[in-house]
Parts: sequence; structure tokens; C-alpha cells
Amino acid sequence: MAQIYVKQAIAGVVVVALLFTAISCHMSATNEEFFGRTVPPERNTLRYVNGAEPESLDPAISSGQHEARIYMSLYEGLVEYDPKSLDAIPAIAERWDVNNDSSEFVFHLRRNARWSNGEPINAHDFVYSIRRSLTPEVESRSAGLAYPIRYAEAFNAGGVFVRDPASNQFLLEKDFAGDEPAAAALSQKSLGTNEREYEPTAAEPTPDRDTPFHQFMHSPDRLVLPGAEKARNKLLESNPRLQAAVAGKELVKARAEDVGVEPVDDYTVRISLSESVPYFTELVAHQIFRLVPRKVIEQYGAKWTDPSHIISSGAFKLKSWKPYSEVVVERNPMYWDAGSVRLDEIYFYTSTDHPATMNLYKVGAADAVLNHSVPNAWLDVVRPKKDYMDAAEATITYILINITQPPMNDLRVRRAFNISIDKINYSKARRITKPLFAFTPEAIFVGYPQPKGEGFDPEAARKLLGEAGYPVTQKSDGTYQCEKFPADEVKFAFPTHSSNRALAEFMQAQWKQNLGITVMLSNMESKTYLAARSKLDYKGFAFGSWGADYMDPTTFLNLFKTRGGDNGSGWWDQKYVDLLEEANHTIEPQKRYALLAKAEKYLLDAQPVIPIETPAVNWVKKPYVKGLYPNPACLFAWKFVYIERDASKWDYGTPSLTD
Amino acid sequence: MLRFIIRRLIITIPTILVVITITWGLIRLAPGNFYTGDKALPEAIEQNIREKYGLDRPWHEQYLRTMGQILRLDFGTSLRYEGKSVNEIIARSLPVSATVGILAYLLALIVGITVGSIAALKQNSKWDYASMTLAMLGISIPNFVLGPILVLFFSLTLYWLPPSRWDGFPSKSVILPVITLSAIYMAYIARLTRAGMLEVLRSDYIRTARSKGLSETQVVIRHALRGGLLPVVSYTGPALAFLLTGTVVVESLFVLPGLGKYFIQASLNRDEPLILGIVAFISMTLLTMNLLVDIAYGYLDPRIRQ
Repeated sequence: MAQIYVKQAIAGVVVVALLFTAISCHMSATNEEFFGRTVPPERNTLRYVNGAEPESLDPAISSGQHEARIYMSLYEGLVEYDPKSLDAIPAIAERWDVNNDSSEFVFHLRRNARWSNGEPINAHDFVYSIRRSLTPEVESRSAGLAYPIRYAEAFNAGGVFVRDPASNQFLLEKDFAGDEPAAAALSQKSLGTNEREYEPTAAEPTPDRDTPFHQFMHSPDRLVLPGAEKARNKLLESNPRLQAAVAGKELVKARAEDVGVEPVDDYTVRISLSESVPYFTELVAHQIFRLVPRKVIEQYGAKWTDPSHIISSGAFKLKSWKPYSEVVVERNPMYWDAGSVRLDEIYFYTSTDHPATMNLYKVGAADAVLNHSVPNAWLDVVRPKKDYMDAAEATITYILINITQPPMNDLRVRRAFNISIDKINYSKARRITKPLFAFTPEAIFVGYPQPKGEGFDPEAARKLLGEAGYPVTQKSDGTYQCEKFPADEVKFAFPTHSSNRALAEFMQAQWKQNLGITVMLSNMESKTYLAARSKLDYKGFAFGSWGADYMDPTTFLNLFKTRGGDNGSGWWDQKYVDLLEEANHTIEPQKRYALLAKAEKYLLDAQPVIPIETPAVNWVKKPYVKGLYPNPACLFAWKFVYIERDASKWDYGTPSLTD
Repeated sequence: MLRFIIRRLIITIPTILVVITITWGLIRLAPGNFYTGDKALPEAIEQNIREKYGLDRPWHEQYLRTMGQILRLDFGTSLRYEGKSVNEIIARSLPVSATVGILAYLLALIVGITVGSIAALKQNSKWDYASMTLAMLGISIPNFVLGPILVLFFSLTLYWLPPSRWDGFPSKSVILPVITLSAIYMAYIARLTRAGMLEVLRSDYIRTARSKGLSETQVVIRHALRGGLLPVVSYTGPALAFLLTGTVVVESLFVLPGLGKYFIQASLNRDEPLILGIVAFISMTLLTMNLLVDIAYGYLDPRIRQ
């Protein structure tokens, strides 16, 4: 009996030892230039692990980055994101004119653009697509991005105009504006009274061809009231002058036809904005402005994206969609630029499990993976490899503060909590991030004079708390305590995710160490957390993160432009909003940036947030995948991507974004 | 017997309704909504959505409407996945879960019974100890540990099998999930078979069979196995129900588009029709399996029918 045990034990030990030897031999054997196998696929296909299951293939609906990537293969817009800089490059619009203050844009469409069924694409298709994205019933999550277009918000939010039945005139916004109405954009001044709006170009000597709609766009802004009776009555009650003016007038619902998008002719689209938006051409590359097929949508309703119904406008068309598995797109021979498309098919794999994703990549079953797929624990192995993508990302991580409740309604307390965090060391621990002291990410917006936030200063933090009435004392063992601070009133709420927990625990330790205050952590399931945050139903601190929707500082700064929405802090200040408005009516770009930076400084001084870090992109692609660049938003124009079989032309390292 | 079945069916239907009611209540208690996202919706649009889905109605009206639909076996359309009906989603994802589940159970039966029988026939031999040690490991190593170990060895080291994703059946992608899922059942069945066989092998009728001069093979296969497998049979009902529907861990480990995956995502998305549909489906499957086992028992043991 004893003998049997000994034999079994020996056999067991040998098997385990062999297994580990095999694995460790393998580990050392793969200590090569790249992570895993680098055999290009036989056909010109790209297998891209794209993250979560797309909610819908309708570009008007979803706002996720993973969905945007699929949309970019299927749907073409007026312009496309440059694969490196994300600037606007021509797509169906071959060129465009911008008026002097960036408040009106005229897009000239190419005449050879076709749908995947061969029918020609014209200006009316764009007008339909943009109006559709704004239709309330479509419930677009990104509709807010189109709000700079005149009356887009009024139409999307179901607002009403006020008409005087006697004179048939509409009430105007400027008659009811506050003390200092912001300067109106050029596109709001009546035509002919102002200086020539456009610089004439050789191709288009007279771009501002006049139409009745154009006259309407160039008339002063109409007054817009909320469509819902409750909200409207509340507003009217708070403003007796307005109430008196509206009494007895007719309420007219804002229609799709009122939105500032006009087909000037079959191949010209004119978009009128209510403010200056210098980045509007880049914004127009967003999915909600991309082409969707009217005929199919009207015929099949919500089922229009089924592979058997869908008609697409992009470089690729839908081949199949297996939910929770893959979306496959194939080359669209009708695409206007089909000649330069080099991939035959793209497989968008669904996988949210990082190790599973990396395993697929390692064995060569995937050619590239989505951003942030490399788990922290794998970085030591993967980062030194030449297929690791390392570049700046237009995303920020921050802590929101509920400033409506004591003790966090005291600016000194908020400042103390901010400057008692050693963000530099935190970023070192996180390894792929940079510490963030301002609210906009660093080194993303070229030429933007980003303001400096406060640095790490625990001594000053303790002093600030003392001034606020919560003295911090040092105990005999050198640690701090802050007995008077109501620690029960402050918690740190964050959505369940291992990296969020690491962040929260680090902050907890910093505050304990430097202020002697223990902040309890409150871990919430994602939707629970979002609901709590939007209702300010949290005490003290809540986790926040935001990725750029377009390449301008306002994509971050606008978070605090409204009280509700994604604000989440309870902080709202008319002066801040005015600064942003002023910037948006400033034509000279550098002056505009300076005003935005002033607004950002104002925000930092009020401290409704504690900026924490800017992540870097963190993904891998096989060296034979060319034309795929680690741009700051991880959005890829797929028509530029190709498989390179000649190993001497492969990417050995992160491809440059500036060449 | 018919009365027995009818009586059981009468209990089954209210049980499902109670399960659905509790689920419905829990969804309502959970904060957040299917339209809650990183980007907040304008108030007017949120209001539109609430009206469209009747979320602005009193709760009892909503409840009665939902229950009415479910009683008509119409689970509605997913709130999260535009234009996809719940029935369509179940029809699409169930085959994946079922394939993995059934294959895993077949594998567990074959290996488990073989190993268990050998262990019982060669009691206290090194075969017995080796197989029971393995069975102990199989029971105590959770599948989220076993899966990655198998992937590390067979995919990342030897490059034999794909590490994840579903290429349909039959394909290489089936192998690792099936082994991972079946390990624990394999181990249970081996132990059940061994225990059952040992008891039977000591019984009088086996001694009789042997004294009749039957060959050892005939004794084992025709007599011992039949009696020895009874515990395995009773284990099949619940095990199969769980295998069909409860492959959640394996599905996320291997990124399989199965029912469990949808269920987890639906809960996170607050996709009420989809949650209710899957819960109703799983409870129906579980109750049917239990009913089948009870009927089988009823045949085997007349006392239960009373």
C-alpha cells in the first residue's frame, strides 16, 4: 500500500514538473520581437477583436467606440477621420467652404458616390440622414453632438416656437435673453447686411447661393420653449415677462424641416449653426452624420440593419452578424473609392474578456485588438514587444465631487482632498497613464494653452482642512488624524471594475496617510452607479471618466455646461457657461483657445472635480497589419488598412502619427 | 400515473409565474434603466422613451401588461438590441449552450462511468486510487481555473486548439469548453458509479450470477452496471438542466455566444423583456427536467406516485 502511494506521488510530481518545464521553455522560446505568432492570414482579411457586442448597427443610435468602429466600415459620411490625426479628410464631400466665423458650412459632394445597391448618393440622402438622427423617436444617444446646428436641439428635444397669430411673426430669443446677450454668429445676421461671409475660391466663386431656407437661417434666433407642458409652465412661472409675452400666442412644434441642414442642390449640402464651431468639419465625421438608406429604413423599420435588408454607403458592406460572436463586413464594389480599398473582409470579433482577447491574438487567431486589452499584469511581458501600441489617448479619469452637501460644499475641503493625492506616484503604479492636473488631457490639442492645476502638497492640504474647521493633528507615531471631519458623510462611489477599485483604494490610502481621514469605498454595479451619479445620489466622491467625441477641448469642458446630463457634480456656474459661449463666438483660433483655457482654469479653481490621470492607448497589432494607427480616439478608417506580406515593410514598433 | 403528471403540471405553472413575478420585481428595484448610459439623454427624449415603453404608467398596469404578454408566450423585443425579439435571441443562443452542455454531459457519462466502474472493480488498487484522486481534483478545481490551465497548455503552448470563440459544431473550438465544463460532472459520475457499483457488487444477486458461471464481463455489464448506475440516472435530470442553461462561466471564459452570456448582459443592461424571457425559459427547462425525473422515479418506485 505505502509503495503504491510513493509511486503515485513520484508520477504526479514528474507530470507536474514536465508540464511546468514545457510551459516555461515555451515562455523563454517566445521571448521574441513580437507577442505570439506573426503569420499573415492567407487572404486579405483582418480579424479585429472589437470588444463588447454592438447594441445596434444603426449609426444613429449607439454611442460606443466599438460600435463607431463598425459604423466606420459600413457608413460613409461627408468627411472621414484622418487615420492618424483624426482631422477631417474628404469622403463623399470632396471639398467644403466655411464662412468667416465657422458658423456655416457648405459641403460639395462628389458625383460618383453610390449606395451598395448601385443607386447614386446625393445631398437629399444627407439631409434625410441628419434629420433622422435628430428625430426624437430614434432616441439617438449622441444627438447632443449635433446641437450646434440651428434648431437641432429644439427638434430633438421636442421644443416649440411661439408664433403671434396676429402678425404671424415668431417671438425671438434675443428679446428675452439675459443682460448681456452673446454676439450672434454670422449665420444669424440677415443676409446682405453683413460683410461678405465667404472667401471666394476658384472652385466656388459664389458659395452662398440664396434660397428661402437660407434667408430663414439668417434671421435672428426664434425663441424655443420646452415641448413638455410641465417644464414649460415651470419656466414661464419663473419669468413673468416671458409668460406675459407668450400668453395668447400659438405654440408651434419644431420640425425636422426647421433644422439647419439644407440641400442647396443635388450635390451641395449647407449646414447652418447657431454658434461658431471651428471643429465642426471634424465633428461631421461622427456616425450620427453618416449616411443611412431611407428606402430600407422606411420599408423595414428597426429591422433595416438585418444582413438581408441593409444597404450601406461605406467601403464595406455587411456580410453576416452572429450576435456575441462576430460581425463580418466585406468589400463594397460600389464604393466610390473601391479601388483603394485593400481588405476583402473584416471580422469584428466580440470579446470583453481581456485574457481571452490576448490569447486569441497570441495564437494568431486575431490580427489586432481593441484599446486597453492588455491586462496590467501582462504589461511587463507585452510592452517591450514591437507590436505593442503606445501613444497618447484623448481620455481622462477624474473624481467627481458632490458639491451640494457638506462638508464637500466647502472649496477648501475640496482643494485639500485634491492636493493630498500624489498623482505622479499613482500614475507610476498604473504604468500606462500620465498624471492629470488640469481637466483636459495633456498633449492632445496642439496649441491649446492648458492651465496648470494644483500639484501634490499634503502640508498645504492639512492647513486648508484646518482653516475649514477640521484640524489635522499628528499623533505620537507620526500618523495624522482629523477627528472633527465627518467621515460618515463622505464615500467614494465607483462602478465595479478591477482598475476602478485599484484607483479608489489608492485614493483612500492617500487621504488616510496625508489627512488622517478614512473615506469608505462604495462599489456599485455600473448602471446603479450611473443612475446614482446623475441624480447626485452619492456622498462625497464618485468616479468619472470621459473620452473625446471630437478633437477639441470643448468635448471635455462642455460636461459642466449643463446642470444635469453628464455633469454629475452639482456644480454649475453662469460665468463658466458665458466663458465657453464667448469662446465659441470667437473667430480667431488662438484667441478662442485662450478663452477656453480661461474657462478651464475657472473650472479647476471651483474644483468640482479632482483630475487624476490621462491613459495612454494600450493595445497590440500584428506587424503585418499596416495602415492601422494608434490615434487618440482609436477610430480607424478601414479603407486604409492592409495586410503586408513582405516582412521588411512590417511595422517594427508603434507607427508614427506625425509622418 | 396520468393524475400524478397532471398534478405536477398544475404546480409547475404557478411556480413559473412566481419566479417571473419575483424577477420582474427585482428588475424594478434595481437602480438605473435600460437607457442609462455613459452619455445622459436629454430629458425630453427620456420622457419619450418612458412613454413609449409604458414606464410612466402605474406599476400594477405595467405588471399586468407584462404578465399578459408572457402568458401568451410573447416575450417581446429586446430593449437593448434594436429589433431583435427575445424568442429570436433564445433560439439563436440556446443551440450553442445546448451543444456544449450535451456534449459535456455525454463525455462526463462515458468517462465517468468507465473510470468509476474500473475503480469499483479494482477496489483499493492503484487504478482505484489514481482515478479517485483525479475525481477529487475534478470536483475541487473550479472550471474558471481548469479552463485557463487547459488554454495555456493546449492553445498557447502547443498551438493545437483555439483558445476561445465559437466556430460551430463540429469544430476544434468545441473541445476545450466541453472538457472544462464536463470535468466536475465527470468526477461526480465517477464517484457515483464507483459507490453504486461497490454496493451492487457485494449484493446477493451478483454472487448468484457469478455462481451460475457467467463470465465476469457478463456479470459486470448485464447485472452490476444496471444496478450501479441508478444514482447516476437520478443525477442526470438536474445536471442536464444546469448544463443546458448554466454554462455561464465557461461561456465567458471561452467567449461563446450562448444563453448564459445573454443572461448576464441582459441583467447588466436592465433589458427587462430579455431577462424575463430567459428566466421563464430556464425555469421551464428546470421544472420540466425535474418533472421528467419525478416521472422516471414514479415508474421506478410506485410509493412516490401516491
